[in-house]
Amino acid sequence: MRKEILVDVKNLTHQFHLTKKAVIRAVDDVSFQIFKGEIFGLVGESGSGKSTVARCLMNIYEPSAGSIQYRGIDICDKREFQKNKQMLQTRRQIIFQDSTSSLNQRMKVADIISEPMKIHHITPPRGSYRKEAEFQMKYVGLDESFLDRYPSEMSGGQRQRVAIARALSMEPEFLVADEPIASLDVSIQAQVINLFRHLQQEHGFTFLFIAHDLAMVEYLCDRVGVMYHGRMVELAPAKELFSNPLHGYTKTLLSAIPIPDPVRERKRKLLVYDGADFGKGELKEVSPDHFVLQRSEGGYTGEKA
Amino acid sequence: MENLLEVKNLSVSFQSGAGEVQAVRDVSFTLKRGEILAVVGESGCGKSVLCKCIMKLLPASASIKNGSIIVCGQDITNYKERDMQKIRGKTFSMIFQDPMTSLNPTIKIGQQIAEAILVHEKKITKEQVYQRVIDLMELVGIEQPHERFHLYPYNFSGGMRQRSVMAIALASNPDILFADEPTTALDVTIQAQILDLLREVQEKLGTATILVSHDLGVVARAADRVAVMYAGKIVEIGMAEEIYYDPRHPYTWGLMRSLPAFSKGKDSLYTIPGMPPTLVNPPKGDAYACRNEYALGIDYEEMPPMFRITDTHYAATWLLDERAPKIIPPVGGKSFA
Repeated sequence: MRKEILVDVKNLTHQFHLTKKAVIRAVDDVSFQIFKGEIFGLVGESGSGKSTVARCLMNIYEPSAGSIQYRGIDICDKREFQKNKQMLQTRRQIIFQDSTSSLNQRMKVADIISEPMKIHHITPPRGSYRKEAEFQMKYVGLDESFLDRYPSEMSGGQRQRVAIARALSMEPEFLVADEPIASLDVSIQAQVINLFRHLQQEHGFTFLFIAHDLAMVEYLCDRVGVMYHGRMVELAPAKELFSNPLHGYTKTLLSAIPIPDPVRERKRKLLVYDGADFGKGELKEVSPDHFVLQRSEGGYTGEKA
Repeated sequence: MENLLEVKNLSVSFQSGAGEVQAVRDVSFTLKRGEILAVVGESGCGKSVLCKCIMKLLPASASIKNGSIIVCGQDITNYKERDMQKIRGKTFSMIFQDPMTSLNPTIKIGQQIAEAILVHEKKITKEQVYQRVIDLMELVGIEQPHERFHLYPYNFSGGMRQRSVMAIALASNPDILFADEPTTALDVTIQAQILDLLREVQEKLGTATILVSHDLGVVARAADRVAVMYAGKIVEIGMAEEIYYDPRHPYTWGLMRSLPAFSKGKDSLYTIPGMPPTLVNPPKGDAYACRNEYALGIDYEEMPPMFRITDTHYAATWLLDERAPKIIPPVGGKSFA
């Protein structure tokens, strides 16, 4: 029942040209699918290409190679994109990490939330833009009194909720959350995570959740993809991945989750993944739904780590 | 061990349009040589203000209302900027929260680290400076330092920038290192490495560290002692083991319970209800009372004093008074999965 594919990423590659000669492959031949109604987690260290994948999915970057299909529409194809522009631009929304810079400091919260509707010339279903903003505020658990405030008058968690409310005002079905909780307090992180859970379970939202906080990913996500140096090294259901990591880099990542217990925490050994035998390989299914990057000559890359 | 830093009854206020903001209220603690003290609390609880106050980096709108700061036996409470400049860097050094803004985007990384060395050591040759920069970059885990010496901050990822900031902070071998949320912008593997690095530096150089964080899970790795701050006050302070295994203040319980490790397999994560109070007119009694499900009547009326649990463990909650009802804490013990 969950197997309806919403986003299908095939062999996605994105290169940044630093100079005429220097090229960085930020994303290198990444393929995965996001099913409807699931929370797909993307983890990896900074610079591993998670955000680039997210931005390619949102048409912010144009991929160098590969294809991305959203509901069967090839969004990298300009003609197809133009044909479905309204649908693609409203049904997919993104929430950025830093709410200080993603919200206009000179706009009031009510205007921030209703701006996307104005841009897309959508008649507010609840009568007025103001009422629409009020509704969205309630939805994310903020008081109406915030509507006439500026972002600078709010705390980080409240601002992040405004960013979520703005994304939700377009009634999307697919939300990309690019490290939405990284800059928040632990107690407020929990509020945002609870909100995401609620949105998924009660309203059937599909999420791409990018994070480096693995404890939160384990708690929230249904399936998790691990990225390293632009490549997807392991892809599995969250439970499976956290109980039975196979790739050396995944093991390293999991070994780094902090335990709130000083005695065990200090004894905990950090694994180090040197990436020495990380090379070309293919993502192969080793058990149902569990994919690991394997070398062509057999064995996992990074097995020794 | 001698006390390197002693803060007594420190209160700091800001003048703002809305009135006097009491950012730090009656805080006392000591820091011994070579020890890592973690200060934990939500944003806006005064952690950063406390650090900046000790370093005298606060804007002119802030003033020390009360109390004293004693560093290496010297009372620096009334030091002027000129005196502070002499001891900053050598005595204490700081790593700020945001590595993006604490580096100069127009100067090469290597030169920024070299600048920090040159400020403190005037008589040093170019080659020696270069070697020290390379050593520092290796110390903080920047690979390929020779190539990266000539890169600009925008070529670096967030984690790499934070490492560079750390190299700058360690350039002058400070006695006390203030690390203000040094790992918030980093991913887990690097986070643990930076925490280990803090410990390593502490063991090698004997640097005492004040580690500010909002995450109890993170500080467990590095901290010897933990102080929990709420609404400008230290509400609980103790050895790391005491805070994690035997927390006494309801706010510490709340912080612990909101960690995902505690909610494994549950439908929703625990959240502390309500918001921290504004510090313009802080509540008369315990500032945490209105968010505290265990609050007693007296919590709304009178500020709880610091109750002594052991010689190193103190907590400010009326629950520890002998007349208070006995409550089984929701966390504590070695029950973490």
